Amino acid sequence: MKVNTYMSQEGMLPRGFIERARRIVGNEHFSQQEGDLISYSLDYWLYGVFLSQKGDLPALPSAAISPASAAQIQEIIECAREYKVPITPFGGGSGVLGGAIPLNGSVVLNLQRMNKFLNLDELSLVAESEAGIMGANLELELNNRGYSAGNIPQSLYCSTLGGWISTRAAGQFSTKYGKIEDMVLGMEVVLPDGNPLNIKPVPRRSVGPSLKDLFLGGEGALGIVTRATISIHPLPQLTIKQSFIFPSIEVAVDVVRQILRAEARPAVVRIFDEAESERYFPKIGRKVTTIFISEGETEYTKLDAKVIRRISRENEGKSSGEGPVDIWLQKRFDIGLGPVLMQYGGIVDTIEVSALFKDATKLYRDMVAAMKSIEGVLEVSGHYSHFYREGACLYVTFAGIPEDPLRYYQDTWDAAMQATLQNSGSISHHHGVGFWRIQYIEQELGATGVGLLKSIKSAFDPEGILNRGKLIDGGRQQRD
Amino acid sequence: MAEDNKEIERIARCAMCADMCKYSCPTYLATGRETLSPQKMARLIVYNEKGLLEDEKGFLDLMFQSAMCGACSKHCIYDDYDLRKFIHKVRIKAFGSGAIPEDVKKRVETFRKFGNPNGERELIDKGAGQYGYFISCSSYEDEDLLKATEKMLSKSGFAIRQFGGSDMCCGAPLYYAGDMEGFRQVSLKMKAEIETRQLSRIVVDCPTCIKMMTEVYREIGVELNVEIMHTVQFIDVLLKQGRLKFKKEDSVVTFHDPCILSYDLATTNEPREIITALGFNLKEPIYSREHTHCCGAAYGAKIGDHSLKDAVTSMRLNELRNTAADIYVTACPTCKSVLSEVNMKYITELVAERIIAKR
Repeated sequence: MKVNTYMSQEGMLPRGFIERARRIVGNEHFSQQEGDLISYSLDYWLYGVFLSQKGDLPALPSAAISPASAAQIQEIIECAREYKVPITPFGGGSGVLGGAIPLNGSVVLNLQRMNKFLNLDELSLVAESEAGIMGANLELELNNRGYSAGNIPQSLYCSTLGGWISTRAAGQFSTKYGKIEDMVLGMEVVLPDGNPLNIKPVPRRSVGPSLKDLFLGGEGALGIVTRATISIHPLPQLTIKQSFIFPSIEVAVDVVRQILRAEARPAVVRIFDEAESERYFPKIGRKVTTIFISEGETEYTKLDAKVIRRISRENEGKSSGEGPVDIWLQKRFDIGLGPVLMQYGGIVDTIEVSALFKDATKLYRDMVAAMKSIEGVLEVSGHYSHFYREGACLYVTFAGIPEDPLRYYQDTWDAAMQATLQNSGSISHHHGVGFWRIQYIEQELGATGVGLLKSIKSAFDPEGILNRGKLIDGGRQQRD
Repeated sequence: MAEDNKEIERIARCAMCADMCKYSCPTYLATGRETLSPQKMARLIVYNEKGLLEDEKGFLDLMFQSAMCGACSKHCIYDDYDLRKFIHKVRIKAFGSGAIPEDVKKRVETFRKFGNPNGERELIDKGAGQYGYFISCSSYEDEDLLKATEKMLSKSGFAIRQFGGSDMCCGAPLYYAGDMEGFRQVSLKMKAEIETRQLSRIVVDCPTCIKMMTEVYREIGVELNVEIMHTVQFIDVLLKQGRLKFKKEDSVVTFHDPCILSYDLATTNEPREIITALGFNLKEPIYSREHTHCCGAAYGAKIGDHSLKDAVTSMRLNELRNTAADIYVTACPTCKSVLSEVNMKYITELVAERIIAKR
């Protein structure tokens, strides 16, 4: 193959593994064709995407295997254990931290054939789907029946339910509907020893620590999620869109804090800094713009919007109407600028962190300043989203046209992570760890936390079969 | 040169997107194969251009597996970008070097021998007037549809000249095979057939024929001096002008939007207006209108890989069956044929069965 791999080379698979894997999934669904190996070589880790322009890929899988059922996954895992072949699960391939990159010559276990919507329980307000269903297809299935999952990430059109669970994801409407861990009631997982685990869907249980939480953010390293039951919501009767301009980020964040303290629960709250406001809303320009979407049952929604309006006005908020909300709704999935910048040598990425309200605005100031100080920077901008009564997620976008792309990328990430840790924030709100964030994980969890996570990984997967080199370096580094 | 660079930039952008359209791609959804998703197809095209691929045959096989339905361009985050054009360029190159798949070769050979994809057939040329009704290759083989068309036209009060069959074809099979010289000759023949008959407007029952005779002919410099409308637009006019009278029926009908009719011709309202005007209750499948899925026989897939076609067809049939409708209707003769397991009707048949008298 003429493409270059810069992290690990294609592995040589034992013949016995190939023959058995072919028998399990069928010849058609086991591939070592060049086109398939290239297609499963990379997810949406943006530095990798940048390098992929020239044919430089981080790693090539040894094979791509596409099972149709949990039973086939069990058999594949058993076979992989016998032949000591590492497996990288691949959902939608939309992860931005390299979680689905097939390191160590692993085979890719492609979950996208398992993409069926299974059933809806309208009485209990839950729906069950296979893990490989694409977010947009899940929403189409639910919307058609009068419901929504309420999880609408920017990756809705290219990410899967299993991916959401494995990265502990959050969507744009999360302030009202919650994050994926609030939505998943039950799931089926195939463990690294090949055994299936069925966590039945119930509203809550008190039977020891929550087992499902091991897989909410497990990144495919502790088990492979094959199906899940999630909570759903009736489509809103009423939607009210509002936006306000505040004199500063500090005022805007405090207004949202007050709104949530007053028990209002807008589905969407986003505070755009001056740079993002200018980019999204050129007519408003370099001001701090905040948008709100209240939605749901009519009476409740009106009250929600009323509380937002009152508190915003009491705190120097100047209404800018529905317009900015409509613009955001139109542009919210538009990731088109990134690839264009990359074509001109630009490095682009996003970093999402979280902090309590007491630290949230200083974190923004420090993080943006630190990232702007890196040589080669073009722009750093940020917004807050995913609010809680206690704090928020800060989402920062950076772009640069540096002489040394890797140096710039690494330095910018280092600056962002250090600013976050110095302000008592968490290094990730909802993108997860993948392989890229492993370098910062000990500063987040401490040696004891990392030790515990490694122990869990070793207990589950002593051979390091599943997603080796991701989340935590708990498995063996080289295949025998 | 500048235009070439712009084109290269466009597909390179697509190759670096997050695959934001893949949820709409029927070949990807039916197979779950990442490689068939639009962004991965784009990446492989870019890599092939850069000389980074070794497996030329494998690459070309993939390029002939696209349904060319247009779902990706419809749902693209970039304006004015159509991945199909790049896949088509690869097919042209493959055709030029003789590297097209065997079944595509056979189809082209049949076409060259008979002037159509089906084989030897009679000429249909009846009626008179400035209005024409072009019978597409798929309709030609569908007796029920031909009879229904005949009945509807005769009751409409219009003088219409029906024509088709023999060696008359829009050329789509050659276009999708990458045989652009053959396609150009067919387009000129089609132009001559229309001009000979001195038609000012033609109604066409196949969305792919319309795409070819308008957009694609224009791209190769062949302009038909005739107004072209699809059958659903024609029926819609007949209904609005009160030219047809029906007995109404209240069964449940599901309409399958043909991909080209929805994505390229943006015609999704008319069929629904017709169905509801006939008194039916319309029940939409989850994937309808701009979210419709190809039946599996879009020419791109039909001439590429049969197991892939079966997977796409099976997915679409399941989506349609989920509505549990009494009657399934479409507006593409090829879709009708491929989705026959649900007793699919062409919309003209639905209309013709219920005509009670001319106004």
